[in-house]
Order: sequence, then C-alpha cells, then structure tokens
Amino acid sequence: MSIQNLNTRDPFADAIKGNDDDIQDGLVHIRIQQRNGRKTLTTVQGLSAEYDLKKIVRSCKKEFACNGTVIEHPEYGEVLQLQGDQRENICQWLTKVGLAKPDQLKVHGF
Amino acid sequence: MEGEDGFDPSLLKKKKKKKTTFDLDAALGLDDSAKKEDLIDESAVDATAADLDDNLDLESFGKKKKKKKKPFNLDELEGALPEGGGADDIVIADDPEEEEINLDMDFSMAKKKKRSKKKDLDELFADKMDEDKGEDKENVDDSSSTWAGSDRDYTYDELLKRVFEIILDKNPDMAGGRKPKFVMRPPQVLRVGTKKTSFANFMDIAKTLHRLPKHLLDFLLAELGTSGSMDGNQQLIIKGRFQPKQIENVLRRYIKEYVTCHTCRSPETILQKDTRLFFLQCESCGSRCSVASIKSGFQAVTGKRAAIRAKTT
Repeated sequence: MSIQNLNTRDPFADAIKGNDDDIQDGLVHIRIQQRNGRKTLTTVQGLSAEYDLKKIVRSCKKEFACNGTVIEHPEYGEVLQLQGDQRENICQWLTKVGLAKPDQLKVHGF
Repeated sequence: MEGEDGFDPSLLKKKKKKKTTFDLDAALGLDDSAKKEDLIDESAVDATAADLDDNLDLESFGKKKKKKKKPFNLDELEGALPEGGGADDIVIADDPEEEEINLDMDFSMAKKKKRSKKKDLDELFADKMDEDKGEDKENVDDSSSTWAGSDRDYTYDELLKRVFEIILDKNPDMAGGRKPKFVMRPPQVLRVGTKKTSFANFMDIAKTLHRLPKHLLDFLLAELGTSGSMDGNQQLIIKGRFQPKQIENVLRRYIKEYVTCHTCRSPETILQKDTRLFFLQCESCGSRCSVASIKSGFQAVTGKRAAIRAKTT
C-alpha cells in the first residue's frame, strides 16, 4: 500500500511554504528617506506579521541607539521605522537574529 | 595540475582573469575543445558562476571590479585624473587597457607575454611580476603541445593555452576583445539651493540606456523616496540632497534590473509594456522575461503633519 499517489501529503507544500524554519516570506524592503537637513529615516517594510514588531523595534532601538516606532499602514501592514541611516545595521541584525535571509533583504535608496 | 601547489596565490589571480574571457568563449560554443577543457578541470566550473558576475559588472559600469584591479587605480589613475566627478571616467578609460592585458596574458602567452609585459606594464605590475615570473618560466618553455613527444601529463595551463590558440586561429576577429562594453557617462549631479539636486544629463543617460525618461524617472524617485520633476531645459530636479555617487548607485541598480538581459547580460534589450507588466526583450539572445514593477512602497511622513492634515480635511 505504498502507492505514492494515494498519499495525502501535498508534494508542493514545501515549495510553497519554503523551509519550515523561516517564517519570513517575501522580500523585506529596507528604504531610506531624507528628512530635513542631513537627517534620515529608515523604514523596514515586509516583515512577516507573525513576528512581534514591537519587540523587534524595542531591541533594534537598543542595539542601534536610535529611536524607532511601528507604523500601521493599511496597504503595507506594519512597518518598522527607525531614525537615521540604519540600513547596514538592520540588514546585519536581521540576518544575525535569523529573522530573514540575506537574499530576502532588498535595500533601496542611494 | 602538478605544479600548481607551489604558487597558489598567483595562480588564483591569473585564473580569474583567464576565466573572464574563457567563459565567453566557451559560451559561444566555438570550439569543442573548450568543452573538453571544462571536463578536465572541474574546479573551473565553480569559478564560472562567480565570473559571470564579473562580466555583468563590466557591462554596467565596470566599477565594482575594483577589487581585481586595485594595482591600476591606485598606481596610475588616481593621480592622473584629478577631476572630482570623473569616477566613472576613470574606470571606463581604464577598462580597455585592462582588457588588452587580459588578452595578452591569455592568448599569446607563449611568445608575447614576456616582451609586452616588460615594455609597458612593468611599473604597473611591479608587484605581480614576481609572482608571475615563476609561472612565466613554466609557461614560456612549453609551446602549445610540449607534452606531445614526452609521456608526461599535460597541465591545465597548457591545455588552456592550447584552447585559446585554437580559438584565436579559427576566428581572428576575436582578438580585438569581446563585444563593445557598456560605456556610460557619469551622472552630472549638482546642488540647486540647499534642498534640491539637479541631475543635468538625465536625458542623455536615458537615451544611452534606450529607456523612456519617464521610466527612469519613476525608478529614481521611487528608489530615492523623494519627489522631483523635469525642468525647462531637460534636467531633472530632485528634492533632497544627493551626491553623484549615490545617484550612480541607483543608476547601476536600474541598469542591472531593467537594462541588462537577465540571461545573457547584454545591454541590447527592449523594455516593453504588456498588459500592465514590463517585459525585457533581449536583442542578442532573444530571451524575454518580466521585470519587477516600480513601487515606491511605504513612505514615512517626513513633512509637516499639520500641512497634511490641512490638505486632507
């Protein structure tokens, strides 16, 4: 009784879900925006909703010594927003903590 | 492969250079022996992937290659070209020269190498010479088929050289190098007042890339997360302060995504819009693939909130 077609296991499940250990799906967009003067904002869009963004931002703020917040956006969901140019920092941090793989990060801006 | 253990570092360097040209030739499928070559040296195959990347860089701006050609830039060109914004110029001017060197090293190793090197590259390659010399000796004293008479094994270098000689014999026009490289003018970026930046040769760049200025404009503004517009004399005014270097980075990304073919990396492509999606059609290899749409994504509030509130209500 080992006919493969009768198995209930969905052969495409892996391809759709990816590996079990990463919850992150899709790209994480990391953008930079210029504010007044030489000040900048870094926004991180596309982190999975399963993560607790509040906790992430709390530890980011501590790690990078900057302020930050979580913003609810009707279209893009929860977006992380950090003060200053934290693109490098956030990329390293996200990969170090294991929230996203390097190829899932997309850095925009100059 | 017998002698390789001795001078590993220099060999690595050389191999890389060879591969850039070697890949292309193999890809052209001109010679059967090219394939044979591949089979013989398994390690070469690994390197090809990395080297394809190099090829891409060559095509886009040729600048990321810095790693490889450090000796050049530092020794010669930094001093020679004092103008500030000419970063691209430097590299572009630099490229053909390097190409020549590559070819010298690759194709005519047996006869020409020593002479040409002594002549003009002595001071440039001063540090490399020492490493190469050991290899030179080895390379020079074997002609294309020295192993024919003896019963010793042929080395990888010998085989590679043989392949290049055959290729060169069969098609002499290859000697001039590969396809014309993607040469681009560096962006002229100036500050207008304190808050705005003008991108003077925006139209030229759009033209050299064969892209609609509007498409490039959309991409630039989305990536930089600002607003901007064309002014009376066809230059782009962007809100915010930007350095030429920063604009160049964005342009490079644009070229990688929307100009070079994703399959063969040639810049001869057409961007078509088909049912709301952009497709990149390659002229040289005929591949067609969709490219990402330009999205500006989430934009944080940077202006005065009071003003926004006044506008919406």
